[in-house]
Amino acid sequence: MSARRASLRTFALVAAGMFALAASGLAQDGTTAAASATAQRVTISPKEPAPAGTIELVTLPSPQSPIVAIRAFFRTGSIDDPAGKEGLADLTASIVGEGATTKRSYKDLVEALYPLAANIQAQTDREVTVFSMVVHREKLDEATALLAEVLTQPAFDSNDLERHRKDSLSYLQTTLRAANDELLGLEAIQDQIYAGHPYGHADTGTVKGLGAITLDDVKRFYREHYTTGNLWLGVAGGYPAGYPERLAKTLAGLPAGGATVRTLPAVTPPTGRDILIIAKEAASTGIHVGYPLPITRADADYYPLMVVNSYLGEHRTFNGRLQTELRGKRGLNYGNYSYIEHYAAPPFTTNPTPNVPRREQYFSVWIRPVQPENAQFALRGALYEVQQLADKGMSKEDFELTRDYLLGYSKLWAQTLTRRLGFLLDSKFYGTPYWIDEIGKHLATMTVDDVNRAAKKYLQTDHWDGVIVAGNADALKAKLESDAPSPITYKNAVPPDVTAIDPTIAKLPVKPTKVEVVPVASMFEK
Amino acid sequence: MRQRIARRIVPALALAAALAIAGSGAARAAAGDVFPYPVHQKKLANGLNVMAIPFDSPGIVAYVTIVRTGSRDEVEAGHSGFAHFFEHMMFRGTKKHPGEEYNAELKAMGADSNANTSDDRTFYYIVGPAAKLETMAELESDRFMNLDYAEDAFRTEAGAILGEYSKGASNPFQPLDEKTRDVAFGAHTYKHTTIGFLADVKDMPNQYEYSKSFFKRFYRPENSTVLVVGDVEPEQIFALAEKYYAAWKPGYQAPAVAKEPAPTGTQRAHLDWPSPTNPYLTISYRTPAFAADRTWASLLVIEQLLFSESAPLYQALVVDKQWVDFVGGDSDPHRDPYLFGIYARVRSDELMPQVEGAILGAIAELRDRPVDAARLDRIKSHLRYSFALSLDSPLAVARQVGQIVWLTGDVAPLKQLWKEIEAVTPQDVQRAAREVFQEKGMTVVTLSHPAAPSTGKTEGGAR
Repeated sequence: MSARRASLRTFALVAAGMFALAASGLAQDGTTAAASATAQRVTISPKEPAPAGTIELVTLPSPQSPIVAIRAFFRTGSIDDPAGKEGLADLTASIVGEGATTKRSYKDLVEALYPLAANIQAQTDREVTVFSMVVHREKLDEATALLAEVLTQPAFDSNDLERHRKDSLSYLQTTLRAANDELLGLEAIQDQIYAGHPYGHADTGTVKGLGAITLDDVKRFYREHYTTGNLWLGVAGGYPAGYPERLAKTLAGLPAGGATVRTLPAVTPPTGRDILIIAKEAASTGIHVGYPLPITRADADYYPLMVVNSYLGEHRTFNGRLQTELRGKRGLNYGNYSYIEHYAAPPFTTNPTPNVPRREQYFSVWIRPVQPENAQFALRGALYEVQQLADKGMSKEDFELTRDYLLGYSKLWAQTLTRRLGFLLDSKFYGTPYWIDEIGKHLATMTVDDVNRAAKKYLQTDHWDGVIVAGNADALKAKLESDAPSPITYKNAVPPDVTAIDPTIAKLPVKPTKVEVVPVASMFEK
Repeated sequence: MRQRIARRIVPALALAAALAIAGSGAARAAAGDVFPYPVHQKKLANGLNVMAIPFDSPGIVAYVTIVRTGSRDEVEAGHSGFAHFFEHMMFRGTKKHPGEEYNAELKAMGADSNANTSDDRTFYYIVGPAAKLETMAELESDRFMNLDYAEDAFRTEAGAILGEYSKGASNPFQPLDEKTRDVAFGAHTYKHTTIGFLADVKDMPNQYEYSKSFFKRFYRPENSTVLVVGDVEPEQIFALAEKYYAAWKPGYQAPAVAKEPAPTGTQRAHLDWPSPTNPYLTISYRTPAFAADRTWASLLVIEQLLFSESAPLYQALVVDKQWVDFVGGDSDPHRDPYLFGIYARVRSDELMPQVEGAILGAIAELRDRPVDAARLDRIKSHLRYSFALSLDSPLAVARQVGQIVWLTGDVAPLKQLWKEIEAVTPQDVQRAAREVFQEKGMTVVTLSHPAAPSTGKTEGGAR
């Protein structure tokens, strides 16, 4: 399923409290019993650039494993959506991955895959579309034939187009606008940061763009972008000798062609503080702040900044200052985190998702819903922490603790075979050795000066885009524009350091350059 | 985030934990080989259940503590949500290891640590280096025996709970769950959700003394299991358990959870939603308490018959007619009689009766006619391979095993359930469908935007 479909289904399952429903394929990441958290030797082959139009193989053998994981990684994504057809890449992935083939109906396809428990999942991000499958090796041949059929012989059935189009529209119009304010904010902040850039619309697309897509558009997109030259084929686990090459041969029926990776225009950095308030009926207020970062996993500075970020706001842990200060000491909300790269579906996962690599990245802060009267204070509190870290850096002790933590913790992100394979493909995307190993290598020689230099260079609070999902939009707009102090009162006694610093935070200057209020119904419209 | 509520986090299908194939490099195990990993178990003198499951994850272990107390045990009025709130307080530390130090210790070992609460249990875990097992045992035993927090910290944490309630409040499933339970239950504590009634959540800061009694009554060794999965030697775990947990004093006081009378008629309720939305339909049926018997094995199969992607109902609603954004169902095993839940988001208000009719029609068919035997075999195959693929990490294994432990208090029923699933016949399915899918045990709750147009399009307005 596509990222959007995955989100939709995760949304339904989580919401209904049915999280690990194995039938959904979401809870099971696919794995091997031999899943070592320590990075094993991984190979990227061939090492030389492949001739144009050939499928490149990335393999990760684990001979003892009863499981085989496959990731067909196409270098195409929503950046390839034509103007006015936003959503085409994602819709194409859904129709190919969850649709009829020229040999059988979608119903028959599902029926064939069902006893194998081998789902084919399609996931689209800005730059990459991946079709992944995890299968028990007893059923490898059957599953392989079906995967090859799905990828090389899509039927482009109009019934599939309409079904997936409706799903996409429902995701934008119901799930985002009316059923999950956190997902709404997380999508909207990217639209804000990348306005006018190929990254500037949700992978799912826009209401208008989706409405304009025809079956011919889908066919053309497939023909132009699902080429052998765009495919990196990842295979991991207990597969027999020669299997990856055999699989590559069966995928030779894909459209012939070289790589079509689009050149990206420069991202325009924000000047000042530009805040979008999404107005809707909401009992609490969610806040997002972000700005483009000029570095990715391919840059040496990424790794010290990773340590800085872990100390500031490690995702869904109690290890970041944002979390300990805003939630732990003040009880303002449920969670507060920061990121130095795109993080897929953060409400639903505690680990980074593979295969959402991007050449352009962004820094962001996510403040989960707070009581409306505390929104301005929470924003100031978060920015205060960011600026403090930029100005004063980390202590040697904090640095060492955070470094050691990340050395161990990052290994837990790659416990399963399919995750390791995914991160290996991402590493190829960035042109680096295996990511988890890279983290270990860089952290081993890092100093506190390195991280503090990175903090000073990349963290700032003067130029950013903000998205706030709020029920009291106009009143909030007035408050933000006035930038008057926002003192906070507590129902409980708070620690002395909180009492001491709160007055400073309450009057922290956060004068916005612009505050715009838009009704939620206008979001993702065009 | 820490301590999220993951109600029913490992639902019904996880019980197909009974379905074994995997094992490192193993071929499919013979029927009856319940679980490919040997479970080593020992009970301490104070009643603490200790389990160790070696699993091939070099250098990594999952250290899990399960307390068989959840929102089901919140029997006193005005205290709904306390099991979950209490789970949060467990991270506030002890005199020996105050909360910040506890966290720093875990951080230093590079561990992933969290907890979640559901109706029937609270589940705490640390995933981290096997070399730090003793530190884990020391830290965990200390907080389960000696938790100590001040009233101020308690009141502050109550704010985080309100935040957790708030983050879910924009999601229609939160009120749908609240309403379904409220309508379906009168006497039993399943009447309230795990996060609790909003009024109770708001009153939490004032309940410091009550919270301490919660710890004294329920956080006791004979109500708890320590389960370690991964790169471990069972004898090492048992020795650590003796060393660190032997002093934990028994004294569990089982709450008097009221029995729910048998349902007597279909209940219906409707909720209005402030934002324009596609409407939601939920249908629930009263289930028996979980047991590793033929009825429950059949219910796990019925989930697949109705709601897997290959199910005719799913194909009709999602693929052919395209009447719904999604449809699903969960037998959702609980310690006491609970609900088989079915949910759908429908593409327009007009389609609601038709979707309900299609679901009820598929259910009636299960009651009226035995299912095709070949289809049953395909479902069993799917369950077996799903299970093999799901055993993907020490924590995943701990969740699978943990579920049978919190449901039944023992791991042995896992094997029994597997036997039952393998033995399910078309007649069993029909019998279970007749037992569970009765109109008198049905609760229907719908949600929609009062002024919603039925075109699937939303209307404007910031509202």
